[in-house]
Amino acid sequence: MNAYDKHKQEPTARLADYFLTRRQFLNRAGMGFGALGLAALFGEGVFLNDAPAAQAAADSMLPRTPHFPAKAKHVVHIFAQGAPSHVDTWDPKPSLTKYDGKAISGADGVAMASPFKFSKHGQCGIEVSEVFPKLGEMVDDLCVVRSCYTDIPAHEVATVFMNTGSSRLARPSLGSWVLYGLGSENQNLPGYISLRPGGPPPGGSANWQSAFLPGTYQGVSINTKVTAVDQLIENIRNPYIPLKEQRRQLDLVHQLNELHAQNLQKDADLEARLQSYEMAFKMQTEATDAFNIAKEPAAVRDAYGRTSQGNQLLIARRLIERGVRFVQVWAGGWDHHQDIEDRLPERAKEIDQPLAAFIADLKQRNLFDETLVIWGGEFGRKPVKDRNGNDNPGRDHNAKAFTTLLAGGGVKGGTVYGATDEFGAAAIVDKVHIHDLHATMLALLGFDHKKLTYRYNGRDFRLTDVAGSVVKGIMA
Amino acid sequence: MRNPKPQTTNTKETPKTKLQTASWSRGALWGFGDWNFFGVCCLVFSVWRCEAADLTPAQTQFFENKIRPVLAEHCYQCHSTRAEKVRGGLLLDTREGVLKGGETGPAVVPSDPEKSLLIKAVRYTDPDLQMPPKDKKLSAHQIADLETWVKLGAPDPRIASAAQKAWKDSSKDHWAWQPLTRPVVPETKDAAWPKTPVDNFILAKLEEKNLKPNPPADQRTLIRRTTFDLLGLPPTTAEVDAFLNDESPDAFAKVVDRLLASPRYGERWGRHWLDVARYSDTKGQIRRQREDPNYPYAWTYRDYVIKSFNDDKPYNIFIIEQLAADKLPATKRNPTNLTALGFLTVGDRFMGMPNDIINDRIDVVTKGFLGLTVSCARCHDHKFDPIPTKDYYSLHGIFASTTEPAVETVVQKIENTPDYLDYYKQRNQLEDKKEQLEKEFRDLRRTRDREKLREVQRAIRQNAGAVARLEMTHAGAPMRAMRVQDSTRPHDSPVFIRGEAQNRGPVVPRRFLEILSPPNRPALTNGSGRLELAHALVNPANPLTPRVMINRLWQHHFGEGFVTTPDDLGTMSEPPSHPELLDYLASRFVAEGWRLKQIHRLILLSSVYQQSSANNPRYAQVDPNNRLLWRANIQRLEFEALRDSLLAIGGSLDERMYGRPVNLERNPDSTRRTIYGTVDRSDVLDVLLNFDFANPDMPSGKRYKTFVPQQALFLMNSPVVVEQAKRVVSLKAFEDCVNDTARIQFLYERIYQRPARADELHLGLEFVAQTPITEMSMPAADAALPRSGDRPRRPGAQQMPRFQKNRPAATQKRAPLTGWQEYAHALLQANEASFVN
Repeated sequence: MNAYDKHKQEPTARLADYFLTRRQFLNRAGMGFGALGLAALFGEGVFLNDAPAAQAAADSMLPRTPHFPAKAKHVVHIFAQGAPSHVDTWDPKPSLTKYDGKAISGADGVAMASPFKFSKHGQCGIEVSEVFPKLGEMVDDLCVVRSCYTDIPAHEVATVFMNTGSSRLARPSLGSWVLYGLGSENQNLPGYISLRPGGPPPGGSANWQSAFLPGTYQGVSINTKVTAVDQLIENIRNPYIPLKEQRRQLDLVHQLNELHAQNLQKDADLEARLQSYEMAFKMQTEATDAFNIAKEPAAVRDAYGRTSQGNQLLIARRLIERGVRFVQVWAGGWDHHQDIEDRLPERAKEIDQPLAAFIADLKQRNLFDETLVIWGGEFGRKPVKDRNGNDNPGRDHNAKAFTTLLAGGGVKGGTVYGATDEFGAAAIVDKVHIHDLHATMLALLGFDHKKLTYRYNGRDFRLTDVAGSVVKGIMA
Repeated sequence: MRNPKPQTTNTKETPKTKLQTASWSRGALWGFGDWNFFGVCCLVFSVWRCEAADLTPAQTQFFENKIRPVLAEHCYQCHSTRAEKVRGGLLLDTREGVLKGGETGPAVVPSDPEKSLLIKAVRYTDPDLQMPPKDKKLSAHQIADLETWVKLGAPDPRIASAAQKAWKDSSKDHWAWQPLTRPVVPETKDAAWPKTPVDNFILAKLEEKNLKPNPPADQRTLIRRTTFDLLGLPPTTAEVDAFLNDESPDAFAKVVDRLLASPRYGERWGRHWLDVARYSDTKGQIRRQREDPNYPYAWTYRDYVIKSFNDDKPYNIFIIEQLAADKLPATKRNPTNLTALGFLTVGDRFMGMPNDIINDRIDVVTKGFLGLTVSCARCHDHKFDPIPTKDYYSLHGIFASTTEPAVETVVQKIENTPDYLDYYKQRNQLEDKKEQLEKEFRDLRRTRDREKLREVQRAIRQNAGAVARLEMTHAGAPMRAMRVQDSTRPHDSPVFIRGEAQNRGPVVPRRFLEILSPPNRPALTNGSGRLELAHALVNPANPLTPRVMINRLWQHHFGEGFVTTPDDLGTMSEPPSHPELLDYLASRFVAEGWRLKQIHRLILLSSVYQQSSANNPRYAQVDPNNRLLWRANIQRLEFEALRDSLLAIGGSLDERMYGRPVNLERNPDSTRRTIYGTVDRSDVLDVLLNFDFANPDMPSGKRYKTFVPQQALFLMNSPVVVEQAKRVVSLKAFEDCVNDTARIQFLYERIYQRPARADELHLGLEFVAQTPITEMSMPAADAALPRSGDRPRRPGAQQMPRFQKNRPAATQKRAPLTGWQEYAHALLQANEASFVN
């Protein structure tokens, strides 16, 4: 029992004569706050699952049951930001080799053969580029969706679009929706954590924002460039006073807040801030442990590769294990306008072994079937040479085709879904728009994307706006 | 698949469609098949425009009787803007859709049934193309009617999709581009409440809904609110007392005037503008092998902004200087004016891609001054607002004709001090070295010796770093401006089709936006045209510039603007809550010389600003977001105001103004105001990110408001906060307090600007009395956790409070706090210290 739990059992007796106890107070505050988010949830009758309703209303982060039973309970989204070239990774195009250097119809410019060899892997015999040797070995677990497409081939817009389903307006991110729908299985850690190896990605916090959903559903972004655990989350420990004493101090803060709020009556912001303090307090013990990959056996660390991405994925696994609902792992750098032959393999190498190790690790721990793993970028690249590439060519942006990998809970492994045209210029068979991808992810988690809604400014909003169809061919 | 090139025989311009251009017809080729979701928006324009008026009544009748019913019944389910999922990218519910076709090409070639895919499909002759699908073949006479219709040239009265119509209408009707009016100040039933005309407008709306404004806030709340609002700092106890003791009727007006005259005002409101100006001290995306990432002189722009706000520089001049200070006669006399041009130059450098840099400048100018998202029109006509791609490239020409000198211009008088001479010598050495290295690089390029090339490149990079360091640190380095200038050969830009620089369309003259111009708008030919552009922005006939600024002002005073999207007043924005008041203020703003302080004063002296923030559950039902302002909004302090106020409370705020930025990560003990902290767009400090700092990569007129646990952790654990708590209880005034009650009262006055109530006093006394006398004892579980230490600790760093990651100091154990220190720290953590009500 840690200091905090112990303390919880000791009511602040003398103060209680005058004021609400902390527990009473928190319950009340939690109720008030939960009611804000969940009023829409239940009041609109869009999220009906009788039993946990009353309980969930008491705390908006408690776990909830989705619309229908589903295998996937967690999501790990590895965001290959920068837009990986699909024709050099997961979507082989022999015609590009055939017409290398020649003008091809349907694209401005001359075809550029992939500098990389593809070969068949696994039982399923899916062709994988040589840049992904380890992932190739796992291909029987992967669903390779080759027919993805998006709206606007500009990084920031498309990145935010991939995460929120909206390119212009501030909308909640996928992770926020998932957290809103499912709650979290760990009340001492944020339910939605975004790991980035350095500065913010294009779009910054718009990528993990909760927008009009209550602030508690926002992703917590953590810079993993730092390796020491107690520096990973800044200010994670108090250098002056022990936890027990800090608990006493925090109780005072809550009581002061309660008196302050009495004068102003209920205010959502004030209550959101109060909840963030409780979460912060609990994180001090829980997060330092969850993020401490030094506790992993050397063999596991070696398997993941002891690299930036390896560490991120290892943290992701530790978080999933602890019940965190949604982890996003930023693994970008794929914007290869030039030098694709040298630079793309570098990026691929960064993620190849860690991701293969991650999937193997999940399987070993029986987490694979309940975790939805996604790898992909915000759009794809053109089959022709980028004109700015000159001698060391690369490929320009292409919104009409890209590949996304799905694996884990509820996903049909060892499958290719959809296809692009002869050159990979555009998805043509079984096209999957971002909204369709979102609808499918929600379906894999047990939600009807049309019914997971939130009322805001008089309108019921949903992740897929007015679009999206579930892609059944991806689902096992 | 791309659609074949359309015939353009019908693109004859008519007065109604004069916006239409050849470039749009090319633009229409852009992969519409992929735009299911945005299909509606993208189909806005098309080339085969044939007005309904062109049809004979018989043609219309034929279509309405024979064709539309067939299409509606058998095709629309999958091929209309209302289809749940549009199949094959084909839309048959508009004339444009029919002619443009879907992924396989135009559905109808007018007058040629044999080449029309629609006819082929309904005939069921091709096994791969049969429509309607699943053996629901049309009847023979329905097929014959369709064939006849195509032979007739496919006369179609459906001139526009819904979105197209909206776009056309919006160009006329959207409120934001209507001329500015001076609405009549409305009468109100309650004649006593309004103190200024502002109140009449507010009260009239409230009375419409049978709502009453809140009673006035008490004086302490009011002075706290106003001081934070204008200065970003709390009032001192003496200032509060002076206000409370001033019984004259204009006591509050005196407070407002005092605050508006304070130099702290520019530091507060200048920062709001820097959010819009996407200010950063670094370049963002650069070729790191060759360039240094710093802007050594971005701060001169920041200082220009602060000074302009403090001087109450008329906003029109402020705009003109930021766009074209180099072209003003006054600049010859006062070269520091050139620092204003940092507005254009402090953006990201996008690896040196000129068109991206130009795009950034178009973006900041149009969002910042006009509240228009013109950059959306880079690749295609704006989907919602009447901004054609041609307009974008008219502005593009202006910025493509604008260059930056290789070396920033010195804007201060040089005196031959020893410092300067030393600087001068060093700089010249570095310049010589640069020249030599660049020559070496050029020569080596011919040999293609990669190894050697890399080496020279590294040397160039190091030299650039040395220049930047010299400029950023040397005491003798003179102040410079990040100026721009007109290129020697100003030129117009062609439209880049789909935004691709290599894909050139017609050349368009440098001009202002059509939607904001009189007919026959002139080309801008004075050099790049920047000065003329600036004049167009501040032309009183342009209603957007004053509306946008007044909206920004209102937003910062009340927490939400009339329009909730301050950088976008286009058709996608929500309508303003008080359009008449917005116009009233905007028109006065212009008429009275574009001076902000007068408008601040007018707003602050209104009853609406001075009402209390108390909630009213019944009203909250009617107007949950308080759009009608029946109460004052409770506002969370931004990070700058929070940190600055902690420093002020601790008595450690360093009030020095201006100058080189302080890296708050490396100098965590700095007590300069936060606006003087370095902003690195490529690695924004975590503490700033966690507190919703404005994104320095784009104009950000409004910050997000989140409550993530890292904010709480900062207040709970950061030495930056705790050290101020320790300081406040070591102040002499605290030590002089006669008893514990007086101590608590002192802290309440100091931190919350009010006395503690009985229950609060009781809580405080109990807390302090119960504080255990502790030794620093971490729980056993904690001790097992790894300590930091993968970086060597800097000598002398352990006592420095630090902001950010990589800081061993923050996790070092420190002496335990006394009861009073803990108590003061609790007061700083409580909501009241972070919110203004």
